Amino acid sequence: MVLVFIDHDGKKPKKGGLEAITRARELAGALGVPVAGLVVGSGIGEVAEEAKKYVDTLYVVDAPEFADYTAEKWTAAAHTAAQKTGAKAVVAPASRTGRTWTARLAARMDAGLLEDVLELEPSAEAVVAKRYTFLNRVLEKQKAAYPVVISIKPNTAPLAEPAGEGQVEALEVALGELEQKVQVLEKIQEEKKRVSLTEAPVVVTGGRGMGSAEAFKLVEELADLLGGAVGATRAVVDAGWRPYAEQVGQTGKTVQPNLYIALGVSGAVQHQAGMNKSKVVVAVNKDPDAPIFKETDYGIVGDVHQVLPAMIEAVKKLKD
Amino acid sequence: MKFVAIIRQVPDGEAKLKEEGGRIDLSGATMILDQMDEYAVEEIIQLKEKHGGEAVIVAFGPERTKEAIRTALAMGADRAVFVKHEGDADPITEARALAQVLKEEAPTVVFTGGQQADWDSYALGPAVAEALGWPSVAWTTQFELLDETKAKAKHDLDEGAQVVEVALPAVFTTQQGLNEPRYPTLPGIMKAKKKEIKEIPAEELGVRGAKVEILSQEIVQIERKQKILDGTKEPEKAAEELVKLLHEEAKVI
Repeated sequence: MVLVFIDHDGKKPKKGGLEAITRARELAGALGVPVAGLVVGSGIGEVAEEAKKYVDTLYVVDAPEFADYTAEKWTAAAHTAAQKTGAKAVVAPASRTGRTWTARLAARMDAGLLEDVLELEPSAEAVVAKRYTFLNRVLEKQKAAYPVVISIKPNTAPLAEPAGEGQVEALEVALGELEQKVQVLEKIQEEKKRVSLTEAPVVVTGGRGMGSAEAFKLVEELADLLGGAVGATRAVVDAGWRPYAEQVGQTGKTVQPNLYIALGVSGAVQHQAGMNKSKVVVAVNKDPDAPIFKETDYGIVGDVHQVLPAMIEAVKKLKD
Repeated sequence: MKFVAIIRQVPDGEAKLKEEGGRIDLSGATMILDQMDEYAVEEIIQLKEKHGGEAVIVAFGPERTKEAIRTALAMGADRAVFVKHEGDADPITEARALAQVLKEEAPTVVFTGGQQADWDSYALGPAVAEALGWPSVAWTTQFELLDETKAKAKHDLDEGAQVVEVALPAVFTTQQGLNEPRYPTLPGIMKAKKKEIKEIPAEELGVRGAKVEILSQEIVQIERKQKILDGTKEPEKAAEELVKLLHEEAKVI
């Protein structure tokens, strides 16, 4: 069996879950085995009804103890399902939590771990995976024998289509001492934006060169005009001008929109790691030697406070 | 109490990478203490300053890793244990080796970087915890030691964050915002030269090759058009030209 962990939002599978299913099917095809799915949560009957359409068998861990994520509980659930199915491969979305518990699972299963994978070339004996390393600057081919644990990089696999009606089986997960060691005291929700940063077709990012929190009103205006999301650099977040949820870069979010506009962004490599796979990159900076210009398709050397209002006017004119 | 930071030496993000025969050649690159690990070193030094005890560095890698260890010692850590390993490794393999060192050291709290800047991996911290049967908390932005047996931490999830209470010992991985890593001072650098680095060959800890084999590495550079307009004199004109290019040539707006 190939086991796929299906991420959900409490109602239906998330995009990351559907991407992971696509890769799990590729693996199952190469091995000639069925696909088993796993959903974990509390009160997730609706999710199970939807998720079963994508797999041969769906294992459902639905219990109050699984209302809140901890790496230990999620590992226990996946490990129980992997043992029950005798899975040779476990596939999960490479979300932040996914990449944490899959590491524990790989260690527990004594399996190879292929993280944040772009593409798979599975055979009956081993899996070859393509992934980025060195802060997204190197494309690496890695090979691991079965059993293997794989996390799938967001926005890189096609979304799976439903394929019938899988069997649904409730799965009991015994929680031991380890799983009690982390108690969730509080959950802090991220402010919901009209367009999510990681899925927006256009991202308009302001850097330190914006000069103030107030100046971001214009960044927002341009983003709204283009149907995009606002991003921020680390310096901007550290200065308290924008929330961490908007940060693009190594310690923030990775984005790959059709259009990435960097305003007053110098382009440190940690920032580039979060955006250098964007289709078209635009930069405005007063320093012609700013590193961002090396990663730029179309740029303007100039004062962002003069250029940005003019860009907004030009876009408005275009739309009229 | 004993506080441990697991560190790695990685190429400076600004350094130009070289490729040789399908592999990255780091021989000419500037190597640094991983910036995500700097938060780990800072945190254990602060914990020691506040609660007393010992701040210990644990590292894994080739001989050159000692430079990063010296940096961590110069920041203020007391001593180091260095598992020396030449050649490829992966986070799970490294975690298994380090777990044996940590079992012996028996620390109260372990910190390590949330991501390794060479492997682009999140796995080391949780894999170390798993190998020890300890809990782990990833992407920690706030940490408070309540007593010798428990800590409170805030950490990032996929969306939003969580505040948790954790039974110790446990492994925490770092996130930006956890603290402001200090720079090594000159007296700190001098003192670091005399601090103990205990060396253990990785083979003694049962490391025999990696679970994941690297087949090839290739530097990816997306070719950018680099059409840069001068907007210093007539910003309106440059902006109009740019929007026109995005509309007509790139067809993205």
